[in-house]
Amino acid sequence: MADNKVIICCKCKKELIPKKVYFKYLGHSFFTDILKCPDCGEVFIPEELVKGRMAEVEMQLEDK
Amino acid sequence: MVLEMEKFKEKIKTCLQNEPAFCTAACPFHLDIHDFMPKMQRGGFNAAYRTYLNTVGFPGIVSELCHEPCKNVCPRRLKDEAIAMKHLEKAAIKYARDLNPNSYNLAPKNKKIAIIGAGISGLGCALRLASKKYNVTVFERTDRIGGHLWDVLPPEVFLADIERQFMHEKYTLNLNTEITSLDELDFDAIYVATGKGGTDFGLKPDPEGAFASDKPGVFMGGELCGRNIIEALADGLQAINAIERYIKTGNMNQPKAKDKTEILINTDLISYMKPVLPDEGEVFTQENALYEAKRCLRCSCDACVRHCDLMSYYGKYPKRIGEEVEITVNPGTLDGNGTVATRLISTCNQCGLCKGICPQEIDTGDFLLQSHRAMRGKGAMPWAFHDFWLQDMEFTNSEAAGMCKLPKGFDKSRYVFFPGCQLGASDPWYVIESYRFLREKNPDTALILGCCGAPAEWAGDEQLHEAAVAKLREDWISLGKPIAVFACPTCRQMFRKYLPEIEGIFLYNLMSELGIKPSPRVNGDTVSVFDPCTTREEPELQHVIREIAEKAGFSLEPLPYEGKYAKCCSWGGQVSIANPSFAREVVKARISQNSNPYITYCINCRDIFDAAKKPVYHILDIIFGSHDKDQMLPTITQRRSNRINLKHKLLSEFWRDEAIMEQKESRIKLLITPELRQKLHKEMILETDIETVIEHCESTGRKVQIPESGHFFGHLQIGKMTYWVEYLPEDGKFNLINAYCHRMSIEEA
Ligand code: SF4
Ligand code: SF4
Ligand SMILES: [Zn+2]
Repeated sequence: MADNKVIICCKCKKELIPKKVYFKYLGHSFFTDILKCPDCGEVFIPEELVKGRMAEVEMQLEDK
Repeated sequence: MVLEMEKFKEKIKTCLQNEPAFCTAACPFHLDIHDFMPKMQRGGFNAAYRTYLNTVGFPGIVSELCHEPCKNVCPRRLKDEAIAMKHLEKAAIKYARDLNPNSYNLAPKNKKIAIIGAGISGLGCALRLASKKYNVTVFERTDRIGGHLWDVLPPEVFLADIERQFMHEKYTLNLNTEITSLDELDFDAIYVATGKGGTDFGLKPDPEGAFASDKPGVFMGGELCGRNIIEALADGLQAINAIERYIKTGNMNQPKAKDKTEILINTDLISYMKPVLPDEGEVFTQENALYEAKRCLRCSCDACVRHCDLMSYYGKYPKRIGEEVEITVNPGTLDGNGTVATRLISTCNQCGLCKGICPQEIDTGDFLLQSHRAMRGKGAMPWAFHDFWLQDMEFTNSEAAGMCKLPKGFDKSRYVFFPGCQLGASDPWYVIESYRFLREKNPDTALILGCCGAPAEWAGDEQLHEAAVAKLREDWISLGKPIAVFACPTCRQMFRKYLPEIEGIFLYNLMSELGIKPSPRVNGDTVSVFDPCTTREEPELQHVIREIAEKAGFSLEPLPYEGKYAKCCSWGGQVSIANPSFAREVVKARISQNSNPYITYCINCRDIFDAAKKPVYHILDIIFGSHDKDQMLPTITQRRSNRINLKHKLLSEFWRDEAIMEQKESRIKLLITPELRQKLHKEMILETDIETVIEHCESTGRKVQIPESGHFFGHLQIGKMTYWVEYLPEDGKFNLINAYCHRMSIEEA
């Protein structure tokens, strides 16, 4: 849906670019590249990622 | 908690999981029904025959002569007719591809064993020993083998069978050789099977070992020892274990085989199946055999895995569950490599069926609850499993939805109506009609809108639960300690367990006492009453519900699981977030018990079945006359606004002048399509949370945009959950395009 589309941070009017973002769940910390505003750090995560890889990781950590 | 878990570990030792089937225990050969019958049931006659052959040694003889002691113990005999084992065995022989025994290529053993008597017992022993390549010599007083068999079977039958089974084996046969003293024999071991009235050489049986005599190295069995001809064969076949033990260790103490089983089968739960008679003559056709085999219950003590949804879903017995939970709660105590049971612990519906159905009353459900508490206490339970419901509980008890009130002009009450959190959430109408009825009959009836604490109990959150219980006790005291009137069986159960000082009655029992006239149905439809699992120990309530339904003109058909065997609709334990696929399976199983509409009396059962498209009534639909039947089920968002509306409506109808409820400052206006609304509902996203996220994006300017579509995206963590919205502003309103959420949190600097 939002693949390959230009995404703009409304505050800084800058295009979001993939950057390292940290996540935390159930005491575990990990990171991955996510679209992020180079100035203010506003992020964007599409539903595909949330329902796909992120949900998988969540399940794994719950079963750990 | 540690203590509870220890107790469970002790209790689990009484588990009967490994006890044999009734027939297996009673069978002289201990034919393993769990091996034989599945093969028959799938039409694997050859494989079933191999099992039979290996067990009885001489299938041709046994299938003719067995006196079928299995039939006297088969629980089917109490329902319809015991399984016709001999017919099945004959069918296995008839339809097997290959009747010949296997030949085993073993190295000869240099041990010499003598067998005295070439009757069926001696031959059985010879067959087993010879196939293990012992050096076997059989001494027979007469001029022929077979002994007593000559009196009971045509020789062509038994001689052919004997010849076939010995086709690959060698042994020395000395006919016309009467042994008068054992001293003349120089052997490593001797089996004496001289038949009924035969010589016993002055030997006495030694009760310490199977087939043992008081003389080392000498064993005895068969009709000599008072056994019948079939038992005699079984003795001969089984004596080899005792003989081999003696040869290896010099001991005569082989344990005797058990001919009893501890298992119990609940015959209430066996469904009738017509017994099969052979279509042609004496022997089953293949179809006959298949059908008859399918009648077999394959008895074992598997009541728990058979009936408990959790255990059957995971295919695990309480023992295994106990071990896995132990490793999960106390990691490092055993090396459990990855076998972790967090989700399993969170999958128990807390329905209590396990204890009720287990002959040893092993309470796996309680053990799982204790484990849940232990995990929660350590902070090791994923918050997401119960967070939504704990929030929901907080909402129920909040100023917006909760209340505790005496009617005006009273300073105490005889009754207090406690409808529970979900009845009004489903439809405020249920609560209002019920309360109106109660107030008409007893004008001093008070009201508590609140939560019984079940969500905290199920989440294993002891602190929260204690607080909820304490609050209820306080409220009850403030109303003058009235009798609580329950609409929800879960509330009733929670009060019984944690507030035993509060006397209680079910709304439906009270209504029927006070007199109700359910609006009669003209068509007299056939329905089934679905007993909620929390009514397992409420037979009176179950009875009253049936009375009301019958009064309303329904004819009732029982369900396989009802009364004290009631099963959970999937709501119990609030397991659907932790294990959605389990919850779906449970719902499916419950609604497909039969095709009748159900009548139930727990609103959660009703709404869950309705959502799964099962025609279902709540008993209040019957009592008050069903209103608009095909109205849509409320979404989780509407379930909250319904509770706010309920409070509002109750205040205005019953406490007129207090009806001034603060109208919440109206927030942003959302436009949501019905499809998206359903999606949010399914994913348990509250529209109120979505409003909060959009408000946040709009007020802080923290959002991103896809210029191509103009859509805005933004996110916000509310509590522990992070919500994303995709939206378009539209004339002062917000058109919601999509929303989703995740459990992990974004670490934002
Ligand atoms: S039902 Fe089957 S397993 Fe149970 S005793 Fe009868 S034959 Fe054996
Ligand atoms: S309480 Fe119910 S779901 Fe839980 S283990 Fe027992 S029978 Fe199974
Ligand atoms: Zn920015």
